[in-house]
Formats: sequence, structure tokens, C-alpha cells
Amino acid sequence: MQKLEFRDNKDFWSGVMLVIVGAASVIVARNYAFGTSLRMGPGYFPTVLGSVLVLFGLYLMVAGLRRGEKIDPDWSLRGLILLPTSLVLFGILMSYTGFIPAMMVLVFGSAAAGTDFRPVEALILAIGLTVFTAVIFIWGIGLPYPLLMNW
Amino acid sequence: MDLFNNLIFGFGVAFSLQNLLYCAIGVTVGTLIGVLPGIGPLATIAMLLPLTFNVPPVAALIMLAGIYYGAQYGGSTTAILVNLPGETSAVVTCIDGHQMARQGRAGPALAIAAIGSFVAGTFGTLLIAIAGPPLAEVALKFGAPEYFALMLMGLVAAAVLSTGDMAKSLAMVAMGLLLGIVGTDVNTGVQRFSFGVAELSDGIGFIVIAVGVFAIGEIVINLGNPEERRFFTDKIGRLMPSAEDLKKSLAPILRGTALGSFFGVLPGTGPAIASFSSYMLEKKVAKDPSRFGHGAIEGVAGPESANNADAQCKFIPMLTLGLPASGVMALMLGALTIQGIQPGPEVMTTRPELFWGLIASMWIGNALLVILNLPMIGLWVKLLKVPYRLLFPAIMAFSAVGIYSVNNSSFDIYLTALFGIVGFIWLKLGCNPAPMLLGYVLGPMMEEHLRRAMLMSKGDPSVFVTRPLALAFVLATVAILVIMVLPAVKARREVIQG
Amino acid sequence: MPKLRSLLLAAVALMALTAPGAAQSDYPNRAIRMVIPFPPGGSNDVVGRMVSTALGEKLGRQIIVDNRAGAGGSIGTAMVATAPPDGYTLGVVSIAHAVNPWMYKLPYDPKAFAPVGLMATGTNVLVIHPSLPVRSVKELVALAKQKPGELQYASAGVGSFQHLGTELFKLEAGIDLLHVPFKGGGPSMNDVLGGHTKIMMSSLVQTTPHIKSGRLLALATGGKKRNPVLPDVPTVAEAGVPTYEALNWWGIVAPAGTPQAIIDKLNAALSQVQDMPDVQKQFDLQGAAVQKMSPADFGKFVLTEMARWERVVKQANIKAQ
Repeated sequence: MQKLEFRDNKDFWSGVMLVIVGAASVIVARNYAFGTSLRMGPGYFPTVLGSVLVLFGLYLMVAGLRRGEKIDPDWSLRGLILLPTSLVLFGILMSYTGFIPAMMVLVFGSAAAGTDFRPVEALILAIGLTVFTAVIFIWGIGLPYPLLMNW
Repeated sequence: MDLFNNLIFGFGVAFSLQNLLYCAIGVTVGTLIGVLPGIGPLATIAMLLPLTFNVPPVAALIMLAGIYYGAQYGGSTTAILVNLPGETSAVVTCIDGHQMARQGRAGPALAIAAIGSFVAGTFGTLLIAIAGPPLAEVALKFGAPEYFALMLMGLVAAAVLSTGDMAKSLAMVAMGLLLGIVGTDVNTGVQRFSFGVAELSDGIGFIVIAVGVFAIGEIVINLGNPEERRFFTDKIGRLMPSAEDLKKSLAPILRGTALGSFFGVLPGTGPAIASFSSYMLEKKVAKDPSRFGHGAIEGVAGPESANNADAQCKFIPMLTLGLPASGVMALMLGALTIQGIQPGPEVMTTRPELFWGLIASMWIGNALLVILNLPMIGLWVKLLKVPYRLLFPAIMAFSAVGIYSVNNSSFDIYLTALFGIVGFIWLKLGCNPAPMLLGYVLGPMMEEHLRRAMLMSKGDPSVFVTRPLALAFVLATVAILVIMVLPAVKARREVIQG
Repeated sequence: MPKLRSLLLAAVALMALTAPGAAQSDYPNRAIRMVIPFPPGGSNDVVGRMVSTALGEKLGRQIIVDNRAGAGGSIGTAMVATAPPDGYTLGVVSIAHAVNPWMYKLPYDPKAFAPVGLMATGTNVLVIHPSLPVRSVKELVALAKQKPGELQYASAGVGSFQHLGTELFKLEAGIDLLHVPFKGGGPSMNDVLGGHTKIMMSSLVQTTPHIKSGRLLALATGGKKRNPVLPDVPTVAEAGVPTYEALNWWGIVAPAGTPQAIIDKLNAALSQVQDMPDVQKQFDLQGAAVQKMSPADFGKFVLTEMARWERVVKQANIKAQ
């Protein structure tokens, strides 16, 4: 028998993810009426689906340990952090400062996630894309977003 | 012949200079918003509606319809080029279309999408003209049991969608079913998995999941894998499909058109179902299903035809019964009402110029779209030469505005960011997100219809076998199961005997 | 470069929209935002857009329509509740505004708004599929009493006006019908037209074409008086349930604390808009009739409506949350 290695085991962790999601679903669904098999309540589907996910998860955990397929080691952490953060900032800035700052931050922040990030080029890109999207969406299509808000 | 005369009459209406112009404007705007992710025909038509007040009804309807089906054409462009679904119906196109682009075959992919859409559009238009009213009657026969049985068939067939690891694919379908449940339960009004967040009470938007998982998750993966990016930008092959491509695509286009027309007539199905079904069918009938997911042209030709046929046929319940099959159709009915026309079954006889003019214009519009789109391919493909470090922030920018515009909601943006991370994790773990999306689309509808069927039958499951249409779908589902299981059984028996 | 110039002009114009507000005497001096708490395409949206356009012309400033859909309209309405009370954010409210407090936990006080005015009211029609063997409200009530809980009615969803209007009918008529909710008005109409569920109470504009084509039978209308579009159809009250009255309505509210001078100016402009024949014609087409109210009367009207639907939600034991 080969050594059980689960630290970077693809299927093992897929299984763990499914078990967590499935179990969470079953637990949350306990707040909803289950009903009967013929007159299903709102809790019926989430409970059944959650249980199915747990079963799939357990199977994959076992199968994964047997197969031992490895997760690709390139983790691109920079992108994983910067891209969602830029999006969240875009959402916040859209509510409080308007379209121009939101779009500038989003484009510049996203560009910074690249492996060959060039600040000046990214700044020009940010300006260009901000103008371009403002023309298309706000001016052309007429979306009701202020370009800049005052406090 | 009546139909012939009516069509000639319709073309007479549609070929007036004014109507041609509005048709051209409509399909151009439609293509544009189709290319842009998130912002869809619904929002655009809503915003352009006041502009149509002073336009004659026929011209207004022609333009609005043009926007709608033009968007279905445009939606495939960004899906193929940068794996970003411009419209909900284009998600399936991402799977093989984008792989084709990576192999330097973006041109043929775009061209086949346009050609398939044209064939489907032509057929859909003809279908409305020939059999619109009777088809609408058949669609009315679909109650909750029929819809459930139909969706069940789709879900069972979904197992075919799985590449490689069957268990993982099925688990992802279940994951999608679960995601689809988030929000208000239609049958009881109970909020599920919304954790007190008002924005979640209407569920997680399709475009949020699609862009988060497909576009953003994939960008993060690409950023960690510099080699793959170079591979992606360097190769650009021929622009037009080869004879071989066309030959391969012919049958998928015809099958996709048929499937799309079927789902299009049914008001209770969304735009993604037609394209998913077509994809599954193509994969099932293919001699070598393993090519799917790695740039099979059939995987573009079928679904793209299906979604366009679906879009055309959604007009049938609207024009013949005055029933809106989707949000866009509800808006068109609104446009008619504002024009002082009472939508309903009488429109065909009282306002023939409207009915036949629109039908003729849809065919003209489809032709315009091909003329508009084929020469654009050269231009689009050049987009792939843009260095990735400039391209991906632009994808982020367009995705963000598009998603924000759906509900004018920052919350949707945060949710997209979250799904970007989730999508990245899924891709890393080798969990294919395509089956998840199918589950997400089918899940809530299946649950809704099943529970409604049981509510209406007072808990008697025999409704699924006593109603002929429902029974037909149940039998078909069983047949699919048998066909799927048989080869495995046979293989095992051969092993035992051999 | 004409393109660039028009672009600059557009940018300047948009910035001007957001310039700081001056004294309220020159209100409005920039664009006004009208929050419609429903997605594009529905009756709230059509009515709201129509009035916004005309109202903007009367006030001399553009009114920008902002659809903020979700949670039965409570997301958009919450935005209005928390917006600065300067008259530059207004909201369209409908019957849902009077229903939501009893259905959902709201993040705002439903009574804390400055009422601007009523726009219009609309009639509901009680329709049945012809295969149901009744031809009047009395026969329907009799059949329902014979088979309690067996007849089924369709609605556009839990908490929709189709749902509550029928629940009120059930309470007043003393009958029991089984509620079959759908996801929106289109799907429920489909089901009734197909004869799967056979009873529905829905808006005039949604039902009229099918009544005219004979696919549906109109038993009664929900208002106090007969509707001119269906003059032969009695009201529910005339047809045997005398205490029944339910209307759809659409109005405009501002955040609580908006200066009275601004409210009055808006109400006056709204009143002028309601006099425009074009606007009246559009309301007609939507199956609605223009109805004017002073801000104070509209405030009282909303409170009455809230009380009416509170009773229905509690007595019919409707729960959501």
C-alpha cells in the first residue's frame, strides 16, 4: 500500500469541499419545514441535495487517497487576492464616489495582479478604459450612474 | 397560397426604408450589448422603450426585436474570444468555443456561430409563420407535471455532460442545484440560504455565477500560468471555417435548431436550457465524445443554433396569445400596449402588418446580422493579439459594469468576487463548473414544478403517468437511462465472458 | 473632433447633475433620481417611467429612473428611506409597499416616508377557465363551499397582489381555495389559460385580451365601481360579496424629513402631469385610472391600505420571511 498523501491531493480536497458544503446545507435546511416525500416542504430539496453532496464528498476523499492526483502547484496568489479586492473596491466606490474613481481603481488594481505589471502603462489603460466604458455605458446606453459624487 | 401571400405582404412592410433602418439599428445595438457581458437585452429595451413612443408600432417592434435577437448573436463573441459569456445563453459556447480560440481557431468558431444562428433564425422565423398559433396551443398543455418530467429528462441527460470523472461531474450538478435554491421559495415564500440578506432573497444571479466562475476564476488561473497565456495569444489561424468544419457542423446546426425551436415554444424554459440540451446531444451522438471540451466545432455550432432558434420561437406565445415567455417578451408586450395595441390572439387578424411585418423583418434582421458579423471576425480576432496584461483588466472592467447594471447593485459585485475565488478553487481541484451551471439552471425549476405538481394533485404521484405528455417524457427519461447504462452492462458482461 | 467634443460635453453635463444643491427655493436645480423598486418591464416600471418623464418635463429637470429590484420591492424602497431628504431621491411605491411590512422583516420603518401623491389606481379582475362549471361569483362561492380547499387559484407568488386580493376574497366570502403560487404573472397566466389551475385574480391589462377572446371568463372586478373597459362585468361587491374591495395603486414617496415646500411643489407638478391627456391615455392602456390626492390624503391612504393588508396577512395566516 502506498503512503497516504493528502496535503496536495486534488480529489481528497474536492471531497472535503463537497462534505463541508453538503453538511452546511443540511444543517441550515433544518430551519425549513421538511414536509413528506409526496408533499415536500422548503427544507426537502436542500436536505436531500446536501446529503447527496456529503456522500459524493466522502467517496471522492477515499478515491482521492487511492488515486493520489496532485494539485497543480502554481497558486497565483497575487491574482487571487488582487482581482477580488479590486472588484470589491469597485462596488464600494460605485456607491460612494461615483463611476470614474471606481473604474480607475478596478482597472489599475486588476492590472497590478499581472506578473509583468507596468505602473505607467496600467495608469494609461485605466484612463482609457474609464473613458471608453463611460462613453458606452453611461452616455451611449444611458445607465444612471454619476461620474463623480460630491460628499 | 395564404402563407405565401402573407409573407409577401410582410416583406412589403419590412422592406420599407424606415422599417429597414429600424431593423438595422436594432440588430446593431443588439450585437453591441450582446458582446458586452451582463448588460442584456432586457435592460437595454427597458431604457430604449420611451424612445419608441413616437415611432410607428411596426417600426418600434421591429427595432426592439432586432435588439433581442441581435444580442443572441453578439453573446457568443466574447464567449469564444475571452471565455466571457456576453449573454446567459452563451455560457455553453464558452466550453468549446474558447478552446477553439486557444488553438488559433477563433475565426472558424465565430463564423460557425454566425452561420448556425442564421440557419436557426431562418427556420425559427418560418416556424412562426407556418405553425405559430397551433404550437402555442400545444405549449399551453404543459402544466407542472409536464415541465417537471421534461426537466428530469434534461437532468438525467446531464450525466452525459461529464468529462472524465463522472462522480465529480454529478457532484457539481448537485452543487449547482443547491446554488439555485438560494432565495425565496416560490411555493411557500420562505427565504432559503439568504441569511437575512435582502439582496439574496431573489437568488444568486446567473450572470454573477457565470462571470465569477468562468471569467474571473479563469483569469486568476491564467495569471499563475504564464506559458498558457503566450500559447493563447500567439496563434491565429484561418478566419473562415474549412469545408471539413462546415461538413462537421451541418448536422449539429440542424439538430440545435430543432431543439431550440422546441424549447423556444415552451414559455416555462429559460434561454440556457436550449443550448445546454444541444451541447449534451452533440456530445452523446459524437463518434469521439472526448474531443468535447477541447475545441470541438460541433460544441459551438449546435448550442449557438439552439439559442437563436429559442430566441426566435419565444415570439410565438407572445405574438399568437399575447403571453410573455420571458422578461424581454413582457417588455415587448408593454411596448405594444403603450402604442395603443391590445396584445392578444386578435393581433394576427386585426393588425396583420404588425404580425407579418415583424416576421419578415426578423428574417431580414438575421441576414443583416450575418452580413454584419462575418466581416467583423477579422477585427475580433485581432483582439487576441492584445497582450494579456492589457486584455484581462479590460475583461474585469466590462464584467464589473455589466454585472452592476443588472440590478444596479454593489452586492452583486461582491458576490462575483466571491465566485471568482470559488471558481478558482474549483478549477484547481479539477471540478468542472459547466455541469454546476446546468444544475443551477434546472434545479429551481425542477423543484418548483415538482412541488407544484404535488400540491395540485394533493400528493398523488400518479400525475406523472396519467397525463400523456408527462408520461411521454418519463418514458423518454427511462429510455435515456437504459441507453446510458446498457453499454456499461454489456462491457462488464464481455469482461466476464471473455 | 466632434466625437471628443460631444464626449466632453456629456461628461460636463453629467458632472453638473451631481453639483452641490443650493437653497430649496430653486428646487430642482439638478437631476432627480426616481427609484423604482421593481425590474424593468412590469406595471410599476411602465407607470413609473411614464410619470417620471412627464414630471421631469414639468419640473424642468431630468428625472433619472433607477430600477432597484429585489425582495418584493423592499430593497429599492429601503434605498429611498435612507437617501438624503432633499427632494433629489424619490421612490415609486405600489400596493406591495402596504403588504411588505407584514410579510418581511424590513430594514426601514414602512411608515416613515414623506408621501408625495397618488398616481393612479388599477382594477383587478376575477377570471376563471371556462372548464370550471360556474358562471358567476355566487356559483363559484357555492361550489367552493361544497368542496372546501379543492378548487385551486393561481397567483404571481406568495405576497403578490394576485395572492392577497384572492385571500381577501376568501375571507370575505368565507370559502377555502387552494393557493398555487407561480414565479411571476406570466407563468401563472399561462397555467390558467392552459386550464391547469382554473381561478385567478389579476390585473385588467393582463386579463382583458383573454376575456375578449373567450379563453377566460370574467366573473367580477375588484373595485368599488364597474370598470369602463368591462362594463358588463359586475363588481365583486355587486356579485354577492358586498364587503369586498381591493385595488392596485401606484404612488410616489420621498424620504421622511423632506421639506414640505418641496413635497408641495412635487405634488403640484404631479397633479399637472395627471391632467395631461397623453398620460391619462397611457394609464388607460395599462388598465389604470389617474387619481389625485394631496400629500396628506395619500399618507392616510397608505396607512389604510397597510391596515387592510395586515388583517389579510394575519387572518389568512400568510408567512414568508
